[in-house]
Amino acid sequence: MKKKVLAALLAGAMTVTLGACGGNTGSGNDTSKADDNTQGTTDTADVSKDAIRFMNTKIEIDGALKEFAKQYQEETGQEVVIESLGGGVDVNGQLKNYYAAGNMPDIFAFAADSYKSSFKDWLEPLDGESWIDDTDYAFKGEDGKVYGMPFALEGIGLAYNKDILDKAGVDPSALTNINAYKEAFEKIDSMKDELGITSVCAVAAESGQMYWSTGNHMMAAYISQGKDRTDKDIIDKLNKGEIDKDRMGQFGDWLQLLFDYSDQNVLISGTYDDQLALWATGKAAFITQGNWIDPSLPTYEAEFACGLAPAAFMEEDTDGIIVDAPAVWGIYNESDKIDACKEFLKALAESEEGQRALVEDCGMVSPYKSCTLEPSTPLAKSMLPYIKDGKTYAWDWLTQPEGIAQNATGAVFELYAKGQLDKQGFVDTMESVIKDYVASNGSN
Amino acid sequence: MNVQLKKTISIAAMAAGIIGMAAALYMDFSGSASTIRGPLLIAGALLVIAGVYLLPTRKHRSIINVLFLFPLIFAFAVTVLIPFACGIFYSMTDWNGIKFEKFVGLGNYISMFKSNDYIYSFVVTFIFTVINMLAVNLVAFGLALLCTSKVKGRNFYRAAYFIPNLIGGIVLGYVWQFIFNKVMTTVIEGSTSMLTDPNLAIAAILIVSTWQYAGYIMMIYVTGLQSVPKDILEASNVDGANQITTLLKIKVPMIANTFTVCIFLTLVNSFKQFDLNLAITNGAPSRILAGKPVQATEFLALNIYNTAISKNQYALGQTKAVVFFIILAIVSLTQVSISKKKEVEM
Amino acid sequence: MKAQKIRTGIAEIIGVILTIIILAPFLLVVVNSAKSSADIITSPISLPEHWGQIFTNLSNVIHNQNFNYWNSFFSSLLITAVSLLLLTVFSSMAAWVLVRNKTKWSSFIFMLFVSAMVIPFQVVMLPLLSTFRETSNFFGIQMLQSYKGIIFAYLGFGGSMSVFILHGFVKGIPYELEEAAWIDGCSPEGTFFRIIFPLLKPVQVTVLILNGIWIWNDYLLPSLMLGLNGKIKTLPVAVSSFVGSYVKQWDLILSAALLAMIPIIILFLFAQKQIIQGMVDGAIK
Repeated sequence: MKKKVLAALLAGAMTVTLGACGGNTGSGNDTSKADDNTQGTTDTADVSKDAIRFMNTKIEIDGALKEFAKQYQEETGQEVVIESLGGGVDVNGQLKNYYAAGNMPDIFAFAADSYKSSFKDWLEPLDGESWIDDTDYAFKGEDGKVYGMPFALEGIGLAYNKDILDKAGVDPSALTNINAYKEAFEKIDSMKDELGITSVCAVAAESGQMYWSTGNHMMAAYISQGKDRTDKDIIDKLNKGEIDKDRMGQFGDWLQLLFDYSDQNVLISGTYDDQLALWATGKAAFITQGNWIDPSLPTYEAEFACGLAPAAFMEEDTDGIIVDAPAVWGIYNESDKIDACKEFLKALAESEEGQRALVEDCGMVSPYKSCTLEPSTPLAKSMLPYIKDGKTYAWDWLTQPEGIAQNATGAVFELYAKGQLDKQGFVDTMESVIKDYVASNGSN
Repeated sequence: MNVQLKKTISIAAMAAGIIGMAAALYMDFSGSASTIRGPLLIAGALLVIAGVYLLPTRKHRSIINVLFLFPLIFAFAVTVLIPFACGIFYSMTDWNGIKFEKFVGLGNYISMFKSNDYIYSFVVTFIFTVINMLAVNLVAFGLALLCTSKVKGRNFYRAAYFIPNLIGGIVLGYVWQFIFNKVMTTVIEGSTSMLTDPNLAIAAILIVSTWQYAGYIMMIYVTGLQSVPKDILEASNVDGANQITTLLKIKVPMIANTFTVCIFLTLVNSFKQFDLNLAITNGAPSRILAGKPVQATEFLALNIYNTAISKNQYALGQTKAVVFFIILAIVSLTQVSISKKKEVEM
Repeated sequence: MKAQKIRTGIAEIIGVILTIIILAPFLLVVVNSAKSSADIITSPISLPEHWGQIFTNLSNVIHNQNFNYWNSFFSSLLITAVSLLLLTVFSSMAAWVLVRNKTKWSSFIFMLFVSAMVIPFQVVMLPLLSTFRETSNFFGIQMLQSYKGIIFAYLGFGGSMSVFILHGFVKGIPYELEEAAWIDGCSPEGTFFRIIFPLLKPVQVTVLILNGIWIWNDYLLPSLMLGLNGKIKTLPVAVSSFVGSYVKQWDLILSAALLAMIPIIILFLFAQKQIIQGMVDGAIK
């Protein structure tokens, strides 16, 4: 039911499964790392009445949050109990269960889409909090009030292996339009043997396994690339069941380019693991994923330099990547300790310990301008200049109709990748499936 | 225990039980969120039952009858009958899994038969069911002949062929997904997985389904073949009939009933196939049908599940489930009438 | 006679080949459970280099929080055992009452049970979920994500067939046996539990096996009622949620599959005859 939330959290969930708390874990070959970050880590029954219950949905930051909560209690006397849900858990369902049982946590994480469908009525407005001025990513509700505090930024683009690009003499900063990519791909492709790669790109488009990547993260470029953060034109259209045919056509060209230079086996039948392995072992120069793959890199002993380049699919230059806070923290409006919660969130956002916990211990990119700490993971680090220069586009894909990637658009990517649709067919089919999906969901 | 005391205890238990249940129900209706109301209700009900049981009366036998029937019928009504009735009703509303707002009559049925994915799923399930029924029965009968021949170690073979049927379809499905995606592509070097081609993916599920199910059906055939009287077989041997004649003229007609059982069993089970479908392909890959992408291997049971659970269209999913039920009911009625006819003939 | 021998010989060869083909998937599971992820991808059919790896893989899986083998194993065991116990006792009781009381009601109830065997789970699952959710909300009795809920559901779903099978058997028990006890002053419940219940043993074994294999392997019902990531998981659900979360780490998935298969295969080795017999009987009846 909540497939989209799941997809949204997959950014995090993937990392959960492939190695826990990113930045500071050394070799990630130990897959049972989530061990001490257990699923329902706290038995809510023995929580004292004065404690703040904090529901965390990113299991990989469980340890760091708990550590911070402990310190916080030592300093202020306020107890905060962190309850972490494991990767892939139906978070919204769990919250609804809590709500039904009159057992809501005081602070919980939510994503933009679940705000619309579920949590609108449960959230305390946070306007006036000092951290709001320090970030561009505070979550605003329909009424313009701030309801969620961002804690980490994720970036979508085309991740590249810098060592390979250097060797081939390709400057990643020039990759800002489709022609630049075309040239770069051709060049790299002609030097395959020299570079020791088997294909230029690692793309996986089989819809059953990869819909969340194609239908959400790749689609994000169509929706947001080159658009001002407040320009909701394309996503609004999509939610009405319409597409921008011209833009979709350009997007189709871009996909065709990526597909043409991909490992064909991984493209039509590969899983996330296959795709990642191809790139992380240095057999492909580019991969269509975001910074959430950072924590998995040690698994493959990937030590090359890398970064995120824009998914610049148009002929015009677009030199930014797609960055947002996929989930934010909000306060339950019927909690009896709203002020204490606000204090705690403030400490997480503004205090040095709080920032250190999130950025250094969790390996996340801070959404706060005042934060000078840098994550140690390569792709996260490469996001910083874009953020500093304001070259970012919003994650509007999050507000697509629920389940559309899994149930509608994912299949179109797959068919296009398999060559069963040509460019015109791709655009037409996209148009018709989006129209149908929105229509059938509207009536239900 | 004397009767008077027993009676007092019985009445006290019933009274306490009724009070408890009443209190619990009062809390339910007044919207209390107290967590004891659930256990209180259960405890109350149990007390009433105990009280009724202990009540010394001439009608004890009738009380026992009711008490003996109650647990199973209660569970059966709550989990099967009520949801079944609700389900048929919901299929005619705009139900969203929690509540419904309006009655839409046959609207869901009409939109169901208009949707590409359902028609496709319907046809593909039908084809799968027929082929799978034939494949399972052919393989199973062959195996049964082998296991009833004079071959050494036939008991071992029986057990070995039966094993796939013991493990759940989900676990086996993942194992086979591995075999199709990793093992087969290594054995036939450079090939792409069967699961990426729409038709081959259906064939893949057929293979696994036959593999899993044939051993079970084989055992039913074995039981049937063993019930063929030895003297008849010997007589035919003496008459000089060769093995194939014996098989076709004596064994097959003698176990006609077993064939009916097996054919219908495999029809119904193939039609209901879900676990393997989910674990091996989960509907993938896609194919284009009349300009729209459909899931090439999404059989009806999976289509129902995805419609309701993944796409959140509960009323439509329920509608599909009702049709699913009707088809199965027709198949079962056919089976019953065929076996009845046979009984009359015999 | 020579032709006969050749024929048996051929049959034997076919038997062996078929055994290898049919059991090959299991061999592949065992072999690949003893390899690292990389070895599986590069050479899934070769024998493992170090069999010791199997213990590393198994212990990784057992200690994995998402799979949580022992928890899932015991949840499966508990759910199966309690459901079986209740199903056997309650359906024996119901079957006995239905056979011994020849009224309109009893034949109606029996017909209801029999016709309900046609009802596929799919047609009741969605309303069942909402019924259970409502029960939890309204009465405060937690039915979803709880042992009692799922056991209750198995009681309802397994009841039809169990009563049907037992009904036929009870019919064959001479009424005189009960009358004798009845005259000796034995209560009806006493008669049932002391005299009838023990006599039902052979057919109860069939009921136990049929329901046991079904409940142990069932996926759809527990995945809906317990949730894929709830606190309680049965083994099939655990394997499935494990596969979902571990984006295709085949070394771990195959080890998990192996662990899920082991209990039932061990059981099969000990009670082969009864299991095969029970399952065949259930189909024929």
